[in-house]
Amino acid sequence: MSRIRAFGRFVMELLREIGDENAYRRHLTVHGRAHSGAEWRRFSEERMRAKYARAKCC
Amino acid sequence: MIFLRRLFWLIVAFAAAFFLGGIALNRGERINSIWLVLAAACTYALGYRFYARFIAVRVMALNDKRATPSERLRNGHDFEPTNKWIVFGHHFAAIAGPGPLVGPVLAAQFGYLPGTLWIVIGAVLGGAVQDFIILFASMRRDGKSLGEMAREEIGKVGGFAALFTVLLIMVILLAVVGLVVVNALKGSAWGTFTIAATMPVAVLMGLYLRFWRPGKVLECSALGFVLVMASIFGGQWVASSPLAPWFTWSAMSLALAIIAYGFVASALPVWLLLAPRDYLSTFVKLGVVLLLGIGVLFVHPDLQMPAFTRFVDGTGPVFAGKIFPFCFITIACGAVSGFHALISSGTTPKMIAKETNTLPVGYGSMLLESFVAIMAMVAACVMQPGVYFAVNSPAGVVGATPAAAVAKIASWGFPVSVTEMSALAHSVGEQTLFYRTGGAPSLALGMAHIFAQTGGGQALIAFWYHFAIMFEALFILTIIDAGTRVGRFMLQDLLRHFSAPLGRTSWMPGVILTSAAVVGGWGYFLIQGVRDPLGGINSLWPLFGIANQLLAAIALCVGTTILLKMHGVKYMWITCVPLAWLVLVTFTAALEKIFSPVPAIGFLAQVDRLQASPAAATLTTQTLIFNARLDAALCGILLLMVATILIDSFRVWYGLLRGTRQSRVAEAPFVISQLRAEEI
Repeated sequence: MSRIRAFGRFVMELLREIGDENAYRRHLTVHGRAHSGAEWRRFSEERMRAKYARAKCC
Repeated sequence: MIFLRRLFWLIVAFAAAFFLGGIALNRGERINSIWLVLAAACTYALGYRFYARFIAVRVMALNDKRATPSERLRNGHDFEPTNKWIVFGHHFAAIAGPGPLVGPVLAAQFGYLPGTLWIVIGAVLGGAVQDFIILFASMRRDGKSLGEMAREEIGKVGGFAALFTVLLIMVILLAVVGLVVVNALKGSAWGTFTIAATMPVAVLMGLYLRFWRPGKVLECSALGFVLVMASIFGGQWVASSPLAPWFTWSAMSLALAIIAYGFVASALPVWLLLAPRDYLSTFVKLGVVLLLGIGVLFVHPDLQMPAFTRFVDGTGPVFAGKIFPFCFITIACGAVSGFHALISSGTTPKMIAKETNTLPVGYGSMLLESFVAIMAMVAACVMQPGVYFAVNSPAGVVGATPAAAVAKIASWGFPVSVTEMSALAHSVGEQTLFYRTGGAPSLALGMAHIFAQTGGGQALIAFWYHFAIMFEALFILTIIDAGTRVGRFMLQDLLRHFSAPLGRTSWMPGVILTSAAVVGGWGYFLIQGVRDPLGGINSLWPLFGIANQLLAAIALCVGTTILLKMHGVKYMWITCVPLAWLVLVTFTAALEKIFSPVPAIGFLAQVDRLQASPAAATLTTQTLIFNARLDAALCGILLLMVATILIDSFRVWYGLLRGTRQSRVAEAPFVISQLRAEEI
């Protein structure tokens, strides 16, 4: 049971990493800021600018 | 313990030999797909345990005491030490695109064996090695890109070749994936409605994420998924309603719509359409790959396609050309893909916490990608060969009417009837499945066949077919949007040397002009593909394959130079063997595409045939002649690029071996890692 739970946690972590939620959490920690709509917009704009300057794989 | 371990690997080695031998030597009898799956899995296990570990320990000397860039340059954004399995999933999601799904489906025209062997052996000895070495090199160089490493290790010419090739590949890639979508949706009200509905869904997701629930990406993606699933059911209703004609489009109308979409989408703010759909398509992609893997293992269907078909002689209807070199060009992403080198030198090296993590991430992810290609091969080969060829053959090859097509296909020894095809089309909610070239519809049919046996039975086959089409189109549209945007950035970067405002990404006229130029580039090839009497895939997919393998050759040249600087000639063979193979394949394919006297293969022979035809003076024929010449020129440019990068690399290698060139390794300095296990 604990293994299933650990696997579930891993899957959620992976999805959060792919979905940039973890990166946003790190961003808040590094800059010592609290979550807000404006903060998310600032973060996602910066991240997307870098992300979509690179080609997506075929 | 050591004895047991050795015994285990001995058993795996025997199992690999047994299953590979089984699929290679089996003739006449139907083979179960589980043989392919086990042959691949055992070979991957051996490659990972012995070859990859040999490279990691002896060649790279991976050292966990050495701080990686994610630790030294940690900034909470790109540079962040991350759990190795999360980086693995992240990297896999980034490298897995339509290539490993479509390539094997097209190559199945040779039979299941040639493609399967290339996918397995190519990945273990070539593709995974390339990804692993480039990831390692980039990690040791503070996450530098392939272009930067090529410039540093080989010279300016190598760097320029890498950049130019990426731009060329982008143009061809966007055209070819656009064509795949066009051929999947033409005449399909259900499919077109579903894909059209994903656009407002993505916009809704964008607004939700930006204004209503900022930062809740998973929640927003779950909502998007539910809406997209609803749109599949909605599509079924639309297809049988008076609205159906509104969504029943010709190939040309769809091509123009995709071009218009590419132009508008690439100029819209990223958060509104691209980013939310990208999140959704990545999650769906991972889910479907997992589902397909489980489905194949659970259902383990028999393969209907023989080991070899008569088309090994080069007369194939899906694309023309013999196994060598065209099988190795057609399947790129499942075996060796140059594009992966861009990902391995992009975000991934900045997330590696410990040097040894590059082994599962670099080598392991490529093996998983290769496994996806095996699943796609299985999905294509579970169909009756007659059905496979009826779906994938263009009208220009098999005849313009269903009756003519089935007669032609039956004459090849693959019986199929119009009634059978009509029943199949009806069962998946389509008017017809003839002439659906491009690989996506046949892959969707194979997937639907497997999924339907896993759950829901034949009652759900239409749903699964359209689910598979939606899944493919979803990430292809994301590639088109993101690719056009990247192409625009590259062009603007180039143009800023001539006009400063044109280089500014915030200046709207510049954005519109450069977007139009990039869309015009791939849009031209897309239209060319739609007009091509041989179906477009015949000329565009090999061009894309050649370009992709050329990029792999550049990556392997960079890898060879680095190995040469690290160890002299001792380990050069690791990258030189796949490099030599790719050069041989790329040169042969490009030369055949230009100069082959067979019009279905050679572009110049096509020109001669068109010029000799009675309709030579008509505008349509003149356009076809121009297109064939353009494709020949493009192939020539690709050949020139291979030759340039090779000559430049040989020059560097010769200097290194003679001692006339400094063999200093351009790695970041050694710093002891202070990273604690709980930080990862």
